[in-house]
Amino acid sequence: MSPLQLCLVLSSLLFCVGLAGALARSNTILVLLGIELMLNAANLNFIAFWRYGPQPAAGLGVIFVLFAIAVAAAEAAVGLALVIAIHRHRKTVRLQDSTALKG
Amino acid sequence: MKLDYAALFNALRPEAHLALGALLVLGFDIFWARHRPANRHHVALALGLLALGLAAWKAVTPGGAGPVHGGMLMIDTLTVATRAGVIGLAALALCLLPSPSRLRHPAEFVAILLFATTGFTLMAAANQLLIVFLAVELASLSLYVLAGFDKTCPESAEAALKYFLFGGMSAAFLLFGFSLLYGLTGSLDLGGIATQLAAQGPSPLLLVALGMVLVAFGFKAAAAPFHLWAPDVYQGAPSPAAALIASASKLAGLVVFTRLLWPGLGSTVGAIAHLPITVGWAPVVALVAGASLLVGNIGALAQSNVRRLLAYSAIAHAGALLLGVIAAGRVGPAPLFYYASTYGLATVGAFGVLSVLEATGPAQKLIDVAGLHQRSPLLAGCLAIFVLSLAGIPPLAGFFGKFAVFAAVLRLGGLAGPVGWLAILAIALSAVALYYYLLILKQALVARPAAEAAPVRVPLPAALALLISAALLVLLGVFPSWILGLF
Repeated sequence: MSPLQLCLVLSSLLFCVGLAGALARSNTILVLLGIELMLNAANLNFIAFWRYGPQPAAGLGVIFVLFAIAVAAAEAAVGLALVIAIHRHRKTVRLQDSTALKG
Repeated sequence: MKLDYAALFNALRPEAHLALGALLVLGFDIFWARHRPANRHHVALALGLLALGLAAWKAVTPGGAGPVHGGMLMIDTLTVATRAGVIGLAALALCLLPSPSRLRHPAEFVAILLFATTGFTLMAAANQLLIVFLAVELASLSLYVLAGFDKTCPESAEAALKYFLFGGMSAAFLLFGFSLLYGLTGSLDLGGIATQLAAQGPSPLLLVALGMVLVAFGFKAAAAPFHLWAPDVYQGAPSPAAALIASASKLAGLVVFTRLLWPGLGSTVGAIAHLPITVGWAPVVALVAGASLLVGNIGALAQSNVRRLLAYSAIAHAGALLLGVIAAGRVGPAPLFYYASTYGLATVGAFGVLSVLEATGPAQKLIDVAGLHQRSPLLAGCLAIFVLSLAGIPPLAGFFGKFAVFAAVLRLGGLAGPVGWLAILAIALSAVALYYYLLILKQALVARPAAEAAPVRVPLPAALALLISAALLVLLGVFPSWILGLF
């Protein structure tokens, strides 16, 4: 396999691990962790395509990754703030306990 | 590539005004209004409306058209109309600001609402994957915070968390899909992607990328089967936040989605106007649209909570709007824009009525609006216009929105193919929808109020917002060419 294919296989695996974690975990923090893994898998894709792609001269992929990392950091901050807001009311961060809204 | 920074600044004047306005609201609150608690609320509201007004003025006088900064942004009629639309809807939502006793930090709320609007206007102009991603995320992150803003209310925090978890996952799908598109075409701007894809033809990797992008936008538009967050968020979020999520966010999201699908990925559309179907994004979008129409209309029948009912109706409207996205390639974005903007007006109005009621007592169940005609004739009359427009009763704007979209869809291939059948399904389900919309009106206009219910005093900004949206719904319904003729 070429290095590009190896990178893509790795990033796809990382994405699937993150998705499985985000869907299966009951702890909100671990779900957040899964989402971060999925975002980083996409970042890995960008870097791989930029490095091994046909026209690596334009640094578009790297620029995209820098912005994506900043967005992921902002997202983690908002997510943790919401986890704290839930914890203030319920004293727990288990997703199964967030059942006030349903119907 | 020669870049013209003066033109870039010129194109981003509305965003600059909104962002500066948000900082001004915060600064004014810290240094002046904090020591005058009586005026804090009014100052934040006035400064927020001022920033929105200036931004709207800059948005409708763009001073130039065409691609900007090497194709990063696109200034055309759709951009101008969408920017004006989202700013107007945000201003209406801002007028619903809760009373000082229920909102302890008005300046922060207004500032985050302005940041969300910045995201929406950027989405309207975005013409490159990086800008699309950043604009969508700016809008989404602000909306998560707005949804969880009511710190005293556990439901608000729960709604925000559910919105965030769904939204975060959809952002990851969006980014992964974009990375595959970048890898396939070596380009980020939609024009370059379109030329590369037209030369390459379909490939399995392209289908994966398309699937991921469609999943992400399905989440954003609250289309079935990705709609699960919508009822909870509409129920738990503060009323202005829910109004913004339901109206401006949907309009901006659909415009950026249309721009991405038609100018960007137009060569991979597939054919669904006639049998047999060929592979592309259109069959998937049609499938999502059909599922949303069914789930939304049938789910709404079982609801006893007004906000959840509005959420399921939003899912059903998302299905009809996605049909408009499919038709946009042939007839242009005019029907889609007309439908989305008038739907936004009606939803903001409906949430506005609920937010005014909230100040006097609970406003969640259908029976909480019972006897509204005796408690406040103004609210009851406005609610009737909003709900009838959502149901699509002529001469209100909701009817002509549905008419324009379904006519455009039927023009694609008549009744000979799946997309024509979907239009017929949508028309049939409109009859089902009339039932649950009339349930709201029966409570508001016919039922007697509860014994302890007092008359409702409508605050001035909310009354203005309700009257403006109701008047616009009637006027745009009588003169649909005001919007349809723009494009």
